[in-house]
Amino acid sequence: MSSILLLLSLAMTPSDTLNYSAMQRLVPGSIRGWQTSEPARFYSGREIFRYMNGAGEVYLAYGFNRLLVQRYACPNREEILVEIFDMGLPRNAFGAYTNMQGRGPVVAIGQAAEYKSGLLSFWRGRFFVCVMIDNENEEATKAVLDLGSRISESIGEDGPTPSLVRVLPQELFEPQTLRYFFRHEILNIHFYVADKNVFRLNESTDALLVQLKIDKSHLLLIQYPSSEEAAAAYADFTTSYMPEAQGKGWIQTENKKWTVCRMHQRYVLVVFDAVTQADAQNLLATLQRILP
Amino acid sequence: MSESSMTRRDFLRTTAAAAVVGTAGMSLLAQQDAQKKTKVILIRHQYVVDKEGKVNPKILEEMFDESMATFFGTKNAGDAWKKIVKPGDVVGIKTNVWRYLRTPQELEQTMKTRIMAVGVQEKDIAIDDRGVLSDPVFARATALINVRPMRAHNWSGVGGCLKNYIMFTPSPPDYHPDSCIDLGALWKLPVVEGKTRLNVLLMLTPQFHCLGPHHFDKQFTWAYNGFILGTDPVAVDAVGLKIIEAQRKLFFKEESPMRPPVRHIKAAEEKHGIGIANLAAIEIVRLGWKEDSLI
Repeated sequence: MSSILLLLSLAMTPSDTLNYSAMQRLVPGSIRGWQTSEPARFYSGREIFRYMNGAGEVYLAYGFNRLLVQRYACPNREEILVEIFDMGLPRNAFGAYTNMQGRGPVVAIGQAAEYKSGLLSFWRGRFFVCVMIDNENEEATKAVLDLGSRISESIGEDGPTPSLVRVLPQELFEPQTLRYFFRHEILNIHFYVADKNVFRLNESTDALLVQLKIDKSHLLLIQYPSSEEAAAAYADFTTSYMPEAQGKGWIQTENKKWTVCRMHQRYVLVVFDAVTQADAQNLLATLQRILP
Repeated sequence: MSESSMTRRDFLRTTAAAAVVGTAGMSLLAQQDAQKKTKVILIRHQYVVDKEGKVNPKILEEMFDESMATFFGTKNAGDAWKKIVKPGDVVGIKTNVWRYLRTPQELEQTMKTRIMAVGVQEKDIAIDDRGVLSDPVFARATALINVRPMRAHNWSGVGGCLKNYIMFTPSPPDYHPDSCIDLGALWKLPVVEGKTRLNVLLMLTPQFHCLGPHHFDKQFTWAYNGFILGTDPVAVDAVGLKIIEAQRKLFFKEESPMRPPVRHIKAAEEKHGIGIANLAAIEIVRLGWKEDSLI
């Protein structure tokens, strides 16, 4: 039965996804006394719903290709669970990582990593990785971190961080609040704007959401393939979100805070929930000057 | 973008209106109080969860029996069960086994014991979560009992009694669009419709916040030490959501709506007509520990 499943899955292998044996080589057979306890399981595309329910949509929204799930057992110890998501592209893996970041302390594994309460998450290249154990203790923590390091070494190559991230001055925002995405469903998880895709987000756009240090307001920065597409998105957003602004691009909303929106070349910039209109306008003017 | 869109500003308007009612609208609330359309039990016990987060099964069992008798207006829990289960029934207990926050197995067994006491044979009772569609007892079930813990969810906002039935469809992704807004439709699937006799939303240590698809952190749970019980899954979830939202406000020290916003509970009433989501129309019968009930 398992060989039939393997053949079926191989037939569905996307060309830009590691094959099973290559992906299997990313995980060691043992670590600090824990041994693989069963063959790795693989889930491609929408098969992810066989492994997780609604949460699978998050990975699909980031262009997920294939998941490897590997369990490790050790006598009288908790099980360690490894999930390696082949996201197809480094930007997708980076996005999946930022979707979860902010949980806890940063650790030096892969291109960025966090570890807290038994869960290590990191990204490297086109892979997003979770290594977890239910009840952590010193020994379990070491095993989880070592396992993560081994997987990161096996991945081998770093991938580029989306260029849009480098545009944004790091001192403006809390780094752990940065979210990178290109689907409005992800925007809505972190900052609900509208049920419809009012910013026309899609695979050809890049979007960043951060929480600003100055007043905890949110900055949304979107890069479109062309200024025409940016203009269309700007019009959609302002029409549906601030119709009474009549094209001015700013409004005091019902919570007495300010939403300010601008379009600049192929970018749309929005500050949500600024304490003062002036702060938001000044920030956007500054960003306009430094955008390429 | 000709189609009208629900935006963040619609939620802000609702919040602003609620604040006005909160300070000046008591007479309006009092009027609404007289128009209750559904009822739930909210029961809590100070010691049902210990400081390490372990559940005391004996206390939980006593709470469960008390809530059943009160909800169904009977002398004892046994008589309450007789109102919802008959000896010839085949009963599926739809539980939830998420590794970090599962339904206590002791409660599952208590339910099974009470159902057997009515006269249902053991072979006609099953307890399952992800395997309900392949479980032979669930396949011929005439009655369903729905029990699970409340928790924040990265795609639907929260997972409660309504969402617990997603395993009854062979295609769960069909119910994922728009933050799972149409979970209420699950309750009209032939395998489910008209069979649910009881909903229990566990609020022992609910999770009020999550970051990412399978994020669990004890920091984002708290010992609420209770559960909500009723026959209306929408009302049970609506009350649970209100409590979760109140805890978020306490924890984050500001209004902090669920992320993403919870849309399926309201839609379960307004679009699918399977229960009551409007809190003003829900009678909450409070039993046990009252401190910090948040509602």
